Parts: sequence; structure tokens; C-alpha cells
Amino acid sequence: MSLIQIRSARAALSAAIAALWLTPAYPHAVCGDRIFPATLAIDDPGVQDELALPTVSWVPNNSDGAHEWDASFSWTKTITPGLSVVISDGPTWTHPGGYGWNALDTELQWQALCIPDAEFMFKVGFDISWAGTGTGVLAGSGGQNTYSPLVDGGLGFGWLPPALKYLRPFAITGEFSTSSPGQDWTGGVPNVTTFNWGFTLQYSLPYFNSQLASIDNDFLKRLVPVAEFAFQTPIHNGGPAGVTTTGYFQPGVIYEADKWQVALEAMVPMTGATGHGVGVIGQLDFYLDDIPNRIDEPIFPHGVGIAPGI
Amino acid sequence: MRTNILKIATSLAFALAATSAFAHAQLEKATPPVGGTVASASEIRLEFSEGVEPKFTKVSLTGPGGAVPLAAARTEPSNQAVLIVPITKALAAGAYTVHWHAVSVDTHHTQGTFEFTVKP
Repeated sequence: MSLIQIRSARAALSAAIAALWLTPAYPHAVCGDRIFPATLAIDDPGVQDELALPTVSWVPNNSDGAHEWDASFSWTKTITPGLSVVISDGPTWTHPGGYGWNALDTELQWQALCIPDAEFMFKVGFDISWAGTGTGVLAGSGGQNTYSPLVDGGLGFGWLPPALKYLRPFAITGEFSTSSPGQDWTGGVPNVTTFNWGFTLQYSLPYFNSQLASIDNDFLKRLVPVAEFAFQTPIHNGGPAGVTTTGYFQPGVIYEADKWQVALEAMVPMTGATGHGVGVIGQLDFYLDDIPNRIDEPIFPHGVGIAPGI
Repeated sequence: MRTNILKIATSLAFALAATSAFAHAQLEKATPPVGGTVASASEIRLEFSEGVEPKFTKVSLTGPGGAVPLAAARTEPSNQAVLIVPITKALAAGAYTVHWHAVSVDTHHTQGTFEFTVKP
């Protein structure tokens, strides 16, 4: 394979990863006593009406050694109480490189299960990144659709015994998916299939305040310190394309208001192929189901799709 | 284009500004305090982040002697986010558990549990 082809493959993979980074639905989720906040790298396990606008990130040196800015929106619309459609997109700036919009991304999500006493819930989804919808420097990066079946789960620890009660505000969430391009090769360039995996560890001070001990400080009692880990591992065509596992560790904090939240996290590269230097990502997220408007309720509020426990 | 963006931003701002009474009701403060110790208690006072429907909001109290009888819940006349549940008998010393299940005025469900202690 020529150097140009390898660079093209890497550019396509970078675009796919960038698109993947931008596409989670980010809805907050309620199961039993637990409210899972929206997190930035790992989608949370709930299906709600939601608008993440904007999500902005910056990394000093991406996998190609370029400065990179990304901005995006993600709108989740419920069709029934447990079924939703997500639409996501946004631009990317790289230097050197240029500017372009990522491929349009849509996702169908279904709330499969909630066990309130266990504070456990998960959803399944299917994501499509649509070919031909990128622009600028990203116009040619998606010659075919990319398909991503996914699972997102979350578990709170409110069920721990009294002796461990100060661990009850902890929760973990995780995400597993694969991203498969519609063709293995395009014009002699390998298209890489990746396994995307990661998890979050979070400690909810709102949970602490309402379940364990009162927190008098109004700002502090709305914070959720969080650590996210998100990776992409090539599972097909990675060798020919010359790509390896990439991923970030993202420590940060989420501030939860009643109808919105704001999150700020550092982006620490976890492998040499990911890039170098610490970046930053922030997001403003609106809980549309908590905001009275014409679009805050499911289109079919009594339809199918309600998971057990919801 | 600029006009359209302005219209969208204005609509979003109005939508968000007109939202003071609708959301998941989260417990912000309680009396007796969450995890606290009191000399006595004649009522349970729950302050939520949003208004709640007292008819559909359930509160239970259990202590050393089992379930404690409670009177009907009501909200403060001036503040629908404050739920008051009178306790109909004097509480003996010991640890008590409050379990609440709230329905906010826009029908969202939330729930939670906390403990407090009545000192001897």
C-alpha cells in the first residue's frame, strides 16, 4: 500500500473516530433512586428528550499531529417513552488540515431494561453515519455509510449495605459498539472496522445530598465528579491501514441544574497513536423532557417501547 | 441567514426562560435533615426542586417499632415544591428511614430514601 493510501485510510479512520466522538445521544437517565447525568465520551444508559448544544472540544495534537477543534449538536427525540431517534452533526477544524462538517449521524435507541431497586438500566441502539454528507476536508472521508450497533448500560451503587453507605453515590456506566463501514476497501484503501468501548466512574453529590447527608452549599450539592475512559480498537483492516488502539481518559465534573447541565473535562491521550498533549471538552445539555414546549413529549406517549421498570 | 439564527436563538431562550415549574422533582432539603439527628419531629418536610402533586406523592416512615403512621401529605400554600407530612404520634428514640416517591406537577416520577435519628 502506498503512503498516500495509508494516509487516506488514517484520515478516514480519524474522521470516523471524530464522528463517533460527536455522535452519542447524551440523554440523562432516571432508574430507581439514581439519576445518571449525561456524560461526554460515553453515552449514558437512558432514553429521554434531550438537546446537547453545543459540545466543543480542543486537542493540541491529534493522531495526525494537528491542532483540532470540534463543535457539535445532538438532538434526541422520543417516538414512544422508550424509543428515540438521535440526530447529530458538527464541524471540525484542524491545523494543518482545514475545515469541514462531519457526516450526518442518526441513531435509533431503545430502552431495554430498568431495575429500579438495583439502579441498573441499559439501552440498545443502531447508529448510521451517512455517506456523502460530510463537507470541506471531510467531504471525502466517508465514501460509504458506517454502521454501529451499540449497547449502553449503567449501574448505581445505592444498594450497598449501611457499612458502605458513603460508596452509594458511586455509579458506573459503560458503552460497547462496533463501527463497520459499508465496504472493506474503497479504491484500494482499507476501511477499518473498530470496536468502541469505554466506561465512566462517577460520584453523585446530588445523590449524597438527598440520601446520605445534607449538603448546605447550593453549588456543591449539584456537582458530579466523573472520570471517563473511551477507546477505539481496530478489529478489521487495522493492520493494512496502519492504525492501532486510540483512546482518551477524561476526568472532569458535571454541574446539574433542574433543566440543564454543563460539563467540563480534560482529554488525556491514553496511547501514542491517539495524539499528544492534554485537550479539553465541554458541553451544555438541555433536558427537553423537563422543559415545557411542543417537542418535549414522545410522539406516541402511550405507544410500545416502554422498558420494564420505567 | 443571520435573521434565522437570531429567531432560533430567541425561540430557544423563550422556551428555556418559561420553565420554572417543570422538571424531575429532586429532593433538595429535608426536615428532619438527611442523615441528621434531632430531639423530636412532628412532621416530615421535603423541599423539592420542582412542584409536586401531593395526591400522587407517597411518603413512608419506618423506625425501631416498624411503620409509623402519617397523616395526609400536603404542599405549602405558597410553594408547591414543599411537601409536608405530619407525624401522628411521638417518635421514640432510634433510627428512622424515610422513603418518598414524588410525582412532579408535569408527572415525572422520582424517588429516594434517607435516614435520620431521634436522640434519647
